[in-house]
Amino acid sequence: MSKEYVFEAVKKVILEVLPHVEPEIITIDKQLKDVGANSIDRMEIVTMSMQALELKLSLMSFAGVSNIEGLVDVLEETLAKKEID
Amino acid sequence: MRTNNVVGVTGMGIVSAIGDSLASFSDSLKRGTSGIRHNESAARPKPSVNIVSAIRDFVFLEKLGKLKNIPEEKLTKAKRLGLRAPFVIQTSILSALQAWEQASLFDNPPLASRIALIIAGQNSTQNHQYGLISAFRENPEYLSPRYALEFLETNQVGVLSELFGIEGEGLVVGGASATGNVGLIKGHQLVESGMVDLCLVVGVVAELSPLDIQGFINIGAMGGKAYIDKATEACRPFDTNHEGFIYGQASAAIIIEATSSSSLRNVLPLAEIGGGIIVLDGNSSANPSKNGELKAMTGALLKARLSVTDIDYINTHGSSSPLGDKTEAAAILKLLGAHTPNVWLNATKGLTGHCLYSAGMVEAIATILQMKEGFLHPNKNLNEPIDKKLKFCGDKFVKYKVKAALSTSFGFGGINTCIVIKRGNF
Repeated sequence: MSKEYVFEAVKKVILEVLPHVEPEIITIDKQLKDVGANSIDRMEIVTMSMQALELKLSLMSFAGVSNIEGLVDVLEETLAKKEID
Repeated sequence: MRTNNVVGVTGMGIVSAIGDSLASFSDSLKRGTSGIRHNESAARPKPSVNIVSAIRDFVFLEKLGKLKNIPEEKLTKAKRLGLRAPFVIQTSILSALQAWEQASLFDNPPLASRIALIIAGQNSTQNHQYGLISAFRENPEYLSPRYALEFLETNQVGVLSELFGIEGEGLVVGGASATGNVGLIKGHQLVESGMVDLCLVVGVVAELSPLDIQGFINIGAMGGKAYIDKATEACRPFDTNHEGFIYGQASAAIIIEATSSSSLRNVLPLAEIGGGIIVLDGNSSANPSKNGELKAMTGALLKARLSVTDIDYINTHGSSSPLGDKTEAAAILKLLGAHTPNVWLNATKGLTGHCLYSAGMVEAIATILQMKEGFLHPNKNLNEPIDKKLKFCGDKFVKYKVKAALSTSFGFGGINTCIVIKRGNF
């Protein structure tokens, strides 16, 4: 699974949580709060992204994440490990 | 505390099985249109009685789009707060927006700190939770973080205070089937005492889960068993063949406001709230009490400084429960005495079903619409009244201008309530 694939999955979740957001403004370098997500929205985006990718991670795994790319990286790494197993 | 504040109703809103605006709801009342039908529900297990006056074909954005005179900024906010919220929250947003608009509160509302918010509702997320249980059993990790906000009844307080910028007191009240009246009574107290200028009271939809419905069937309160193939005949308040309550859904909002506040916006109240009271029987069970009901009605009259002979209409609790109807009829006869032939009675639940938490609110709205428009709605399925002395409306609407009304609501746990609504001199 590529990083692009994970980003697309996360982007789809962001649009579901924030339906008023224009898809073009969601770029991987942005922070979730830059696209209008409040703290609950951000937690929901993380949970729903895990569900979309069928991953189960503790929320601590995302502690160092500062932008969308960080979130995508954690998800992608876990996904890659899962595929090797 | 007794002050000289005159307390009016300046706005109302409703989303129900028989109308999603005051105009359509009033039209249904006049025609005697009932929302009670056999319900094709996807819920599992299927309840053994599936007759409901349900809010059908509900699409939040469509309903929001139909509202008139709502400022763009409020619509955007309502969409953001409501679009992904549970059904019960969405209906509260819609009825509250209608009431806010009717009271002309979008421009020049009172100070935010002088506005209170009361949510009349309890256990309103039962069906929402029931729907999440099977997925939760499989994958608890995927439970939405939003759930922690949403399962709390006070989520309604948060959402509606954010939507309308309310910064006074905000709380949730419950009183089983009397919840709506409890909300109106507490709202009236807040305004009459001068603690606030205005109180938005919202009666929430009872969205029962299959578990709750079966519970009401098993305790013997819910009717419909003998009417499985005749759903439209199942709800028959005060009729000899009544069998139990039929469940209904409605969200209802009422703005209670001091006339000293509404006059600043040149808004005339739709009616006056004389006040009301809550009286307990000291009874943990489900059975009603004639004495408790009588105490609520006499107490409400006293609160409103009226005598029995000032009353010309009672919007009854009339739930179609054999013991409930019989007890209420006896209490009303005792209250009215020689005045009985002068007082019209009807039961709105015959058309709306029993909306449980919002029932008292729905019935207050029905009372005020009838008062304003000079009619009394028909009593559905009242073929053989259990009492011949009481003056029940028949199967056609009556042209009549109510001057002063009582509206009663009684709940499990010995909770008796009654409010007084007057046409007022506005």
